[in-house]
Amino acid sequence: MATNSGADKGTRNLVIVMVLFIVAVGVIFSLISSRSNSTAAIPAAVSEADGYGIVLNPESTPKIDVYVDYQCPACRSFELINGKYLNEVIEAKKAKVVFHPMTFIGPESILAANAAACSADENRFVAMNLALFQNQPSGENTGKWQNPFFIELGKSIGINSTTFESCVNDGKYVDWTTNVASASAKADVNSTPTVLINGKPLDRNTQYGDPANFKAALEAAGVK
Amino acid sequence: MLNKFRTYQPWLTLLSRLILGGVLFAAGALKIGNLQKSAMAVRAYEMLPVELANFLGYALPWIEIGIGLLLIVGASVKICGLLGAFTMLAFIIAIAQAWARGLSIDCGCFGGGGTIDPEETKYLSEIIRDIGLLAMGVFLYYFPKGKLSLDR
Repeated sequence: MATNSGADKGTRNLVIVMVLFIVAVGVIFSLISSRSNSTAAIPAAVSEADGYGIVLNPESTPKIDVYVDYQCPACRSFELINGKYLNEVIEAKKAKVVFHPMTFIGPESILAANAAACSADENRFVAMNLALFQNQPSGENTGKWQNPFFIELGKSIGINSTTFESCVNDGKYVDWTTNVASASAKADVNSTPTVLINGKPLDRNTQYGDPANFKAALEAAGVK
Repeated sequence: MLNKFRTYQPWLTLLSRLILGGVLFAAGALKIGNLQKSAMAVRAYEMLPVELANFLGYALPWIEIGIGLLLIVGASVKICGLLGAFTMLAFIIAIAQAWARGLSIDCGCFGGGGTIDPEETKYLSEIIRDIGLLAMGVFLYYFPKGKLSLDR
């Protein structure tokens, strides 16, 4: 290898340094942007201690955690199968229910979670949660789920306030979705829907898709 | 025979670099757009403590991009071949343990990941692919000198 020249070696080393620099900056930037932001605006119903979830009936027991992504088809099925019963439980204050809208499917999940959080400020979260799943587009990030759509969806369930409209349009709770994602990651939630009763996950094979089993699981935990 | 190998080895090295480097680069690039999902994919293997799984979910795509780029341009091929082989070995172990424990997950190799229906798992083909890539990494460790390389 008599052709070995100083210039070639310099180029090679420069390339290696540049690539290492890109990797280091990428890793550091990604880790920082995944962290919870304590200055993010959070809805009144959200509790940091409950993983930044939207809390309904904070005084009731048992505690039910529901992790969903509004674009996740299995979450839609879960809501259509068990939502009616779960909403009755919430209505009758038979359990503390904490909703964690995750956003790993992408930008339209973030907009939907923001709109859901805005509806919580109007005390219409349960209806909005159902309406979102009923109007889930077939496909991810299709362009259908934009803010004007969520404002219309709000109107369809009786939210006509200008605060809701500006909350949706301003993306008031967009930063909060990172906090939910970070807390869900720490809670080791790795698929959606995930439902925990008093911290213990339901059986994925039997208790999500069958309303009788779902009801039985809640009753076993003390929901009467 | 040996002479023939001497003739072809620099081209085989180039080919291995482009395939292993290209796959690693693509795998990383497809993941950096959605790192939440990448972290979720690592958690779904249920192999590492959750903090470490989340850290890897965010860090690994960049490391794949780095090794991929260096292999493609042919800088520090020996080390990167070894790192690539080591990465593939880790993937093979992770997928095999998920398979053996009866988890139903997507490997999350090129984005995606997380729990899926049991009939949708493709563990065998994923492992075979990674064994092929592992072999290329080992080859590059032993024969790092090839065509069109920044290394001299």
